[in-house]
Amino acid sequence: MKKLNILFMFAIGLFLVSCEIEPISNPNDPAQGDVTQDASISELNALTSGIEDLLRSEVGFYYDVVSIIGRDYWFFTGSDPRYTGEVLGKGSSQLDNAGFYGNRPYAARYRTVKAVNLLTEALANTTAPLTDAEKSGYLGFAKTMQAYELHLALNLQYQNGIRVDVSDPNALGDFVSYDEALSFIANLLNEANTDLGAAGDAFRFTLTSAFEGFNTPASFATFNRGIAARIALYQGDMSAASGYLASSFMDMSNPLSGGPARFYANAAGDQANPLFRVPGNSDGIIAHPSWVAAVDPADARAAKIASREEISLDDLTGDHDVVVFGSLDDNVPFMTNEELILISAEANVGSDNSAAVAAIDAIRTANGLAAYGGGTSDSELMDEIAAQRQLSLFGLGHRWVDMRRWNRLDEVPLDRVDDDVWVQFPRPVSEN
Amino acid sequence: MKNFIQKLTLSLVLFLGTTAAAIAQGSVTGNVSDNEGNALIGASVLEKGTTNGTVTDLDGNFTITMNSFPATLEISYTGYETQSLEVTSGGNVSITLENSATQLDVVVVTGLASNIKRSNLANNVASISSKELTGIAVSNTTETALYGKASGTNIVASSGAPGGGISMKLRGTTSINGSSQPLFIIDGIFIDNSSIPAGLNIVSRAASGGSSSNQDNPSNRLADIDPNDIETIEILKGASAAAIYGNRAAGGVVIITTKKGKAGKTNINFGQSIGWTEMLNPLGVRQFTSETVANSSRFGNPTDIAAFEAAQAAGQIFNYEEELYGNKGLLSNTRLSMSGGNEKTQFFFGSTFKNEEGIVENTGYDKASLRLNVGHKINSWLDVDLTSNYVRSSADRGFFNNDNSGTTMGISFTSTPSWANLLPDENGNYPANPYGTSNFLETAAKVTNNETVNRFMGGAKLTAKLFTNDNSSLKAIVNTGFDTYNLYTLASFPNTVQFQRDGNGLNGVAVHGNSNVTRRNASAFLLYTNSMSNGLLSRTQVGVTYDDYDRNSIISESFDFVNTLTNLDQGVNIGGTQFRQISVNKGFFVQEELNYNDQIIATVGLRGDKSSLNGDPNKMFYYPKASLAVNIHEMVGLPSVLSNLKVRTAYGQSSKTPEFLDKYSLYNQSAIGGLPAYTPSSLYGNPVITPERQTEIEFGADFGFLNNRLLLDATYYIKTVDDLILRAQVPSSSGYSVQVTNGASLENKGIELGLSASIIESDNLNWNARLSWWTNSALVTELSIPSYTTGGFADFLGNYRIKEGHSPTEIIGVIDNPDLRDEDDLYVYGDAEPDWQMSWFNGLSFGDLEINWLLHWKQGGENINLSALLFDLNETTHDYDDTDLDPSGQLNNGDYRLSLLGTSTAPYIQDAGYIRLREIGAYYKLPVTLGDSGTLTLGVSGTNLINIFEYDSYDPEVSNFGSGGLSTGVEVTPFPSSKRVNFHIKANF
Repeated sequence: MKKLNILFMFAIGLFLVSCEIEPISNPNDPAQGDVTQDASISELNALTSGIEDLLRSEVGFYYDVVSIIGRDYWFFTGSDPRYTGEVLGKGSSQLDNAGFYGNRPYAARYRTVKAVNLLTEALANTTAPLTDAEKSGYLGFAKTMQAYELHLALNLQYQNGIRVDVSDPNALGDFVSYDEALSFIANLLNEANTDLGAAGDAFRFTLTSAFEGFNTPASFATFNRGIAARIALYQGDMSAASGYLASSFMDMSNPLSGGPARFYANAAGDQANPLFRVPGNSDGIIAHPSWVAAVDPADARAAKIASREEISLDDLTGDHDVVVFGSLDDNVPFMTNEELILISAEANVGSDNSAAVAAIDAIRTANGLAAYGGGTSDSELMDEIAAQRQLSLFGLGHRWVDMRRWNRLDEVPLDRVDDDVWVQFPRPVSEN
Repeated sequence: MKNFIQKLTLSLVLFLGTTAAAIAQGSVTGNVSDNEGNALIGASVLEKGTTNGTVTDLDGNFTITMNSFPATLEISYTGYETQSLEVTSGGNVSITLENSATQLDVVVVTGLASNIKRSNLANNVASISSKELTGIAVSNTTETALYGKASGTNIVASSGAPGGGISMKLRGTTSINGSSQPLFIIDGIFIDNSSIPAGLNIVSRAASGGSSSNQDNPSNRLADIDPNDIETIEILKGASAAAIYGNRAAGGVVIITTKKGKAGKTNINFGQSIGWTEMLNPLGVRQFTSETVANSSRFGNPTDIAAFEAAQAAGQIFNYEEELYGNKGLLSNTRLSMSGGNEKTQFFFGSTFKNEEGIVENTGYDKASLRLNVGHKINSWLDVDLTSNYVRSSADRGFFNNDNSGTTMGISFTSTPSWANLLPDENGNYPANPYGTSNFLETAAKVTNNETVNRFMGGAKLTAKLFTNDNSSLKAIVNTGFDTYNLYTLASFPNTVQFQRDGNGLNGVAVHGNSNVTRRNASAFLLYTNSMSNGLLSRTQVGVTYDDYDRNSIISESFDFVNTLTNLDQGVNIGGTQFRQISVNKGFFVQEELNYNDQIIATVGLRGDKSSLNGDPNKMFYYPKASLAVNIHEMVGLPSVLSNLKVRTAYGQSSKTPEFLDKYSLYNQSAIGGLPAYTPSSLYGNPVITPERQTEIEFGADFGFLNNRLLLDATYYIKTVDDLILRAQVPSSSGYSVQVTNGASLENKGIELGLSASIIESDNLNWNARLSWWTNSALVTELSIPSYTTGGFADFLGNYRIKEGHSPTEIIGVIDNPDLRDEDDLYVYGDAEPDWQMSWFNGLSFGDLEINWLLHWKQGGENINLSALLFDLNETTHDYDDTDLDPSGQLNNGDYRLSLLGTSTAPYIQDAGYIRLREIGAYYKLPVTLGDSGTLTLGVSGTNLINIFEYDSYDPEVSNFGSGGLSTGVEVTPFPSSKRVNFHIKANF
């Protein structure tokens, strides 16, 4: 009898261990799939802050390479010869399709794109008590930032085109051409703007102080329209650009007021401004002599550089540090009011040149220069706009993109005999 | 051959047409003793060909009721030759068993529920007895006691730091992404052998450079097991032997059986050993002269020249290798064990207290281990075996290995020339090292890096004889085990050390780590044995298994200290991280073993496994096995010189589950402007990831000559691993950078040869020896992604490369001659895998004097020696001024090696082969009797006393990246290895 008892217990044991294994969620970090299935409001807000966090991810590389190729500045560093080598096209060197300088900023933009797609999915599935207006607020913010990030990736890749449909990592959409990508981005911005219009008076999530003045659906929409104006400019659609500017945060009366930015803080657990370098060091960002020559010492924008002891590296010599950012705590703007005014100037050339001159003068006088006194033909005005953009948007990733869209890359100054000005970055090796 | 076939045919006829045997019951009584007349208690007496058997009592007596006459009685006892005795009628017999000169009769534990005699085994299972393990010398941990004692193993110590840290691979590398370490099972308990880092990276910054590994170099937890408690170790080297362990067995299985009590007189053993340890291979330091200082690019400036001249004039030139590594550490090991019991209950109690100093000041290892094993017969059909082991250990490991902050003692030592004065002043204040971020003498005096473990392991095994008749029996075996420990680590860097004071560093750092780990396992088996009168014995087993694992590690960091206390809340800034890891595995196993008269032994089995670590936790994966052993000498007449001839083959599959994080796509937690943020991780987890599947086939033959005084075994194996898990690059527009994928295969092939001989057998002189030789070579046979380099710091500093058609452990570097570059612009300089290894064990006894020694030869295998690079870069290398390297004879060695840096990695990839006198021990039994029959033994032993190697550092056995993964054999300023000498006294009552 006892033996039968044992046998019985044995059978129980068999039964116990043969049952199913419960799937184990990773207890250390939330799984993307779990959050997507049913996110709480605090999780949705963490996803939104995550997007804001990713907007600054590797973005230092973006500004550096665009500014170096556009000859805003050089990056002198003993730790990597590629900044003064491949990026400037030294000798016979080429941009590398596995190079960190082009691939890391590109990959980081798509991480933001992914974060937006995951937030969009989570919003569709969530059972948290959110109104439709509140959901529209999340979507309007996220889609605007997705469009912004796609346009940075497109700026690097240009005629290579980019992928715009990347929601399924196992079935990525095809590459689309530069023009198609711009249309996609423009549409996405318009969609986002519609969402923002339906988003009520306030966002349900909190943005950092870097979005001060842009943290309600209505005020954020003025940023959305500003980006839309930039894209329209890239598309060459001047009337659309002017239209968008009207709803943007453009303020002719206060040209130097800034715009929304990426948040940086030199604090534990946060990120420090990657573009600030202590002036005077041997590792530093050195203003390109052409920019030093272009800026009038009386121009307030001359404060973007600081003179230093002459420094040479790799047959390049400079004597000014770039001090666009003054500390590790400085935010990095997505877009400034100065840019909007300059877009307005450019959009008016050919249709309303006096409006263009007025916009130019707003910039000039605000920076301590006399009003524009040159010719007012279309081409003369474009030269002046190019000069003002070079000064106002120094170090903010525009010069190279501007010269490229104006077909003036051949005017970018070269420093060494065999240097090159690249048209675009090679498609990253992982995409092939 | 004809004879063989006749016998086989006859056997089959007998099997099929069962015969009617004569029934003539009767009892046989008898006594079993050894050749000195001592009664053997618990010897097994079996009516051959049946399950009818008994064991001897306290006086060595037995009574067995026979099923039939004539019959053969088989009497066996561990450590003795099995004897067969023909009995034709009831009556009294007396049997004397001879000491076993060979291992053939030893029972080998290979399975979850059943054992097998070594002579019937189809695999080359390495067995290590307690005598081989701990009988020669005192090793500091169990794993170091295994060196050279089993063929097919490759054991590499990570460093000489007290408390251990090894990597053990059986028959080659079996995983690329994960670890190739075997599963350790002690008395049925699955033992956790994790290496859990202490969080030193906050100071060392080791992970912020070319490698993202924190390189904390923790010990692995097998170190806690006391080798003195071990009776035997069986090593199942691959899937063909270990298939029944399924997804736990990819790296092989090491089955450890601890000592058990025997009925009879209580046996008490006391032992004390005292010894010292010292640096194994001092390199010396660069001897500077005014000329070499002046010519030095680092020191040839007025300040340093003046400093050198002044120090030389004052006689203040130091040998810092001696200052740092010159401590002669005191070793003490106290052992008390007791065993005994009666027929119903037997016990074994073992205790060890160990206290060892290291060769660096303030380093050392303390351990206390208590074990109690109890066996109890509840009634005639129910037995229970209980094991329990408590261990407390504390290791002060020093602060070594790579960093990116100049703070480890090893790195700081490389940067310091001999004239720098680092000694403390009369008030005990250490000067700042003018040639480095830290003063390593001060670091040794003040910095703590301690691991303290409190561990309990317990197991219970219940054996129920559910049903027995004359020729069949059914047993149920239920086995449970658990292993739980708390690992507390303290890394303290007080604010008075150079790299923490005066605004350097973080003004004092204390890192407290707390890990709680529990591993549990259980199995339940039914074992049905049926013996047929035609000599065929069938054993059928079926059962289920369960095991789980739970680790919870919390690391708290505190910095900005006002005082030199280490309490967390004394620091102003406190932060922390937590990591949990949980897994559950469930499986079943069925096996059928057929044994025809010990002539032909055939086994087939199937294991099924599911695991929470797999993409689909409830998908069952199946692993078959089959094996065949044929004892030809049992079947046919062989020339009398050939006393044993067995041919064998075994096939099996097993697997390795994915790593814990492989299946998850996660969000990282971060913060922006004080807001919590989720950002998608760049790792694309694979929700359908499957285990890495290993298939092994093994062939071998065992020969015995001259009544098995000479034994030869030869084994060849092919072990393939498919579905290897990789991190493959994905298009970055997906938002991810790498995806976990099953995407490679590799193959290991190897040969293992063993020769044991009882060379001299006489009354007062005995000499036996065992020679083992083994080799393994591996190849990546399939790789779904482009070849890549991994495991090191950078290609120009030497790296490992995973490439189709190449060894997975090949070491590549850059080369100056473009003609020698391969399609990846790299050059293969070597391979971490040795060409072959050989070990030679000798046991010599001369009356009451016994001398044993073990030689270990590892031929080939390369290391990446970056200690040498750091010495060179700092111009402090011991051979910097020699001139035997530059073919043009112009540059001295240091300048020559540096001139190649970046263009050729050749100088820093070095042969890591060695010949070592691993262990030697001499013991003399004094001609005195303690009490009734006690003995007193004196001895002396040494570990690593002779070391011959070309490798240009402290020890070719080294691993900066610890025991996991591929890249053992990268050296960056480790804690140097040491040699040991011990004196012993042992008393036995």
